[in-house]
Amino acid sequence: MPKVSWQQRKVIVLGLALMSLAGPLTAAKVTLDPSNWGHAAGEGCVNCHTKSSAGLAQEWRESAHAKAGVNCMDCHQAQAAEPDAIKHEGEIIATIVSPKDCARCHETEFKEQQGSVHAEAYSLIKERIPAMAANLTGPAVQAAGCDQCHGSRVKVKGDGTLDPETWPNSGIGRINPDGSKGSCSSCHGRHLFSKAQAREPEACARCHSGPDSPDAEIFAASKHGMLFSSQRQRMNLDAPQWVAGKDYTAAPTCATCHMGAAGKLPSTHDVGMRNAWALNSPVSQRQYLVLLEDGGKLEIPAGDPVPKRGEEITKLDGSPAKVKSVVTPERRREAMSLVCLECHSKPFTQGFMRQFDNLVELFDTKFAVPAKGIMADLYAGGYLTPLPFDEPIEFTYWELWHDEGARARHGASMASPNHAWWEGMYLVSRNFYGKFLPEARQAAGAAAQAILDRHLTPDAGHEWLSHPGQTNPILGFGGAYGPEEGQSGPQDQDREAVTPAVENPAANPTPAPAPAPSAPSSQPPGEPPGTGPVAAPPAETGLGTEAERDG
Amino acid sequence: MANLLSAIPITRPILIALVIGGLGGMAFMTFLIEFDHYTSTNAFCTSCHSMTYMEDEYRKSVHYNPVSGVRAECGDCHVSEGVFAATWDHIKGGKDLWKQLFGADYDDPVVNALHLPDAAFATRQWFRDTGSATCQRCHVMEAIQGKRADTAAIHREETAGKSCIDCHQNLVHRPVPSEETFKREAWNQMIEEEFGLEPGTAEKLLAR
Repeated sequence: MPKVSWQQRKVIVLGLALMSLAGPLTAAKVTLDPSNWGHAAGEGCVNCHTKSSAGLAQEWRESAHAKAGVNCMDCHQAQAAEPDAIKHEGEIIATIVSPKDCARCHETEFKEQQGSVHAEAYSLIKERIPAMAANLTGPAVQAAGCDQCHGSRVKVKGDGTLDPETWPNSGIGRINPDGSKGSCSSCHGRHLFSKAQAREPEACARCHSGPDSPDAEIFAASKHGMLFSSQRQRMNLDAPQWVAGKDYTAAPTCATCHMGAAGKLPSTHDVGMRNAWALNSPVSQRQYLVLLEDGGKLEIPAGDPVPKRGEEITKLDGSPAKVKSVVTPERRREAMSLVCLECHSKPFTQGFMRQFDNLVELFDTKFAVPAKGIMADLYAGGYLTPLPFDEPIEFTYWELWHDEGARARHGASMASPNHAWWEGMYLVSRNFYGKFLPEARQAAGAAAQAILDRHLTPDAGHEWLSHPGQTNPILGFGGAYGPEEGQSGPQDQDREAVTPAVENPAANPTPAPAPAPSAPSSQPPGEPPGTGPVAAPPAETGLGTEAERDG
Repeated sequence: MANLLSAIPITRPILIALVIGGLGGMAFMTFLIEFDHYTSTNAFCTSCHSMTYMEDEYRKSVHYNPVSGVRAECGDCHVSEGVFAATWDHIKGGKDLWKQLFGADYDDPVVNALHLPDAAFATRQWFRDTGSATCQRCHVMEAIQGKRADTAAIHREETAGKSCIDCHQNLVHRPVPSEETFKREAWNQMIEEEFGLEPGTAEKLLAR
C-alpha cells in the first residue's frame, strides 16, 4: 500500500510541528462542563432583546449556543475594570466579544488563531496606512475600507463609548480593547455562529474578493468552485465533523484546503499555516513558519536566516519571544498536499503544485524582480521622489504586483485559468511592457536605457523585444507561421529575417511599412532598432517621444 | 374639642394675631411657590457661568427641542414636584452655590468637564432615590408607544423593579459612563486631548 505509507510518512514528518499547532481531527469539541455557562441574567437579556432586536435574538435562538444553553451573558459578561466594560440594564458587559472571550470555551481555536496571518492582518498593513488611507484618500477610508477587512485598533473613549472611527468593526485582525487580536465574527456571522456558514466559500468573500485578491471569484471560476456550486447538496455542510474525503467528497471549499481536516491532517484555525508561499508581496517568497514559546507565530521569508530553537527573536509588534520550532515551506506544502490527496493522486498533486510554482517563479523572475530593481534605481537616482504615489509609475508598479500580480499568482494557486492568465499574467505583461517601462523611461530620461538594460537583460524572457521584425498575424499583420497557420510551433522563434507575409492583403489595405507589429511597443521613428537587449519605448503613448526629448 | 376651643378666649389681640399669621403664612407660601418656580427656570440656573456648559449640551437634546413642542426646563427634571419637596431640593441645591463660590473653579471649562462625572453620579442616584418621579411628570407609562414595534411591550413587561433612570441615561447632558465602570484616568486623558493639554494636567487640576 504505497499511498498509505506515503501518507503515514508525511504524517510522521509533519508530526511535531502540526500537532503543536492543531487540535484533534475536527474542530475541537468544547470539553468544559456545562456548569461553566448558562448565566443567570441571560434570560433577562433574551426577553428584552426579543422585543428590542428581534432578528438578533432569533439568530441566537437557532444557534448551537442556544441549544447548549449558552446565553448572551456567557459571551458578553465583563469585569468592571476592563477598558470597554459598560453597565447595561444592571449587568456589567462589553459590546465586543473578543477572541479571548470566545476562548473561555473555544481555547484550541483561540490558540491556533493567535499569531496567524489573519490575527496579524492589521499589523501586516500598518505601513501602508499613511500612504494609502492618509495621503491618497482620507481617514474615512480607513474606517469604512481597510479596517473592515484588516481590523481596526478599537479605541474606547474616555466616556466609555467605542470610538465610531474604529467601531463597528469585524475585521479579522482587529486589535481588541483586551489586547487580543482578531474577530471570530469575521467568518462566523453573529449571532447564529453556524458551522455550515463558515464552511461556505462565501464566508471568505467579503474580503477575499476584488482586484487584489479575488479568491472568491477565482474559486468560483475553478473546477473546485464549479463542483461546489453544482453539488452543494452533497457537501454535508451541517455535519458535526467535516473531514474531507470522509464526511464529504463533492468539492473542497476555502475552509477545506486552508483549515479543514482531511484524512490524518488535523484541522486548524491558523489559516495561513499550509501556505508555502507569501503571494501578496512585491516578490513572492517561500516562507518559514516560526512557532514561538509564548504561543505566537511568525512568518520568515525563506531567503532570510532561519532562527534556531531557543533563539530570541522580535515579533511583529516589537516584543521579544523565544523560538520553539520552525516549520519549513516544504512541510507546509506537504500539509496542504495531504488535503489534495484525499481526492487526487500523488503525481496529479505534485504536477499541479509544479504548475503553480512555475507561474509564481515566472512572475518573480520575469516581472517582479526586474520591476523592483528598476524602482529602486529610479529612487536611488533621484528620478522619483521618495514620497509614494506622487508619480504615475508608482501606481503602475503598485498594481503590477499588488493587483494583477496577486491575481495571477492566486489564480494559479487555486486553478482558475482565467485569473492566472487574462485577469493575471496578461495584465501583468500589458502593465509591464505597455506602461511600466515607458513610464520608467520617461522618469529617468537619458539614464533610462542603462537602468532597464541592467534589470531586463538577465532574464531571457525579455529577449523577444529585440526582434521587432518578427511577425505574427495576431494583430492582423504578417504571418509568422506561413500559409498553413498553426502547423509550426511557437518554438520557431528565429524569424527576424522573415519578411512579413500579408496573408490577406484585402483585409489590410494599408499595411504599415516600417515598425513590425509584433512588439507591443514599436519604436519611434529615428531611433535605431535594437539599441540594447531590450528595445524601445512605445510610440502610441507618446511617452517615448517625450523621453527622447528629455534625453 | 368644642370645650377646648371655648376654653380659649377669642380676644381681639388673638384675632389680630390669627389674621396677621394667616396672611403672613399665605404670603410665605406664595413666596415659596414663586421662589421655587423662579429658581427652577433655565434663566436662573444658567445665571452661574459654570451651568452654561450643561446648557450647551441640553440645547442639543430632544428635551430642549422635542417635536411635540413640550420643552423640559432644568427644574422640570431636577426639582421635585410639590412646594415642600421643591423647597427641600433647592435647599440641598444650595451646596452647589457654596461650591460655586468657594470650591473649584467650575467656570473653567476644563475643571467643569473633569468634575462632570461626579455630578452625573450624584444626579443619577437622586433619580434612583426618587423613583425617577420627575420624568413621570411628562412620561406616562400607559402612553409610551415608541416608534419601534415592541417599545410599549418592553416598557410593560421588562421594567419590574426599575425606574426610568435605570435604563435611560446620558439623554440630555454630555455622556458619562456608569459609576461602576468609570475609569478616571481614561476620562482625564479624553479631556486633556479635547482641550489640547499636557498629559497629567487633569490630575493637577483635580488636586487643586
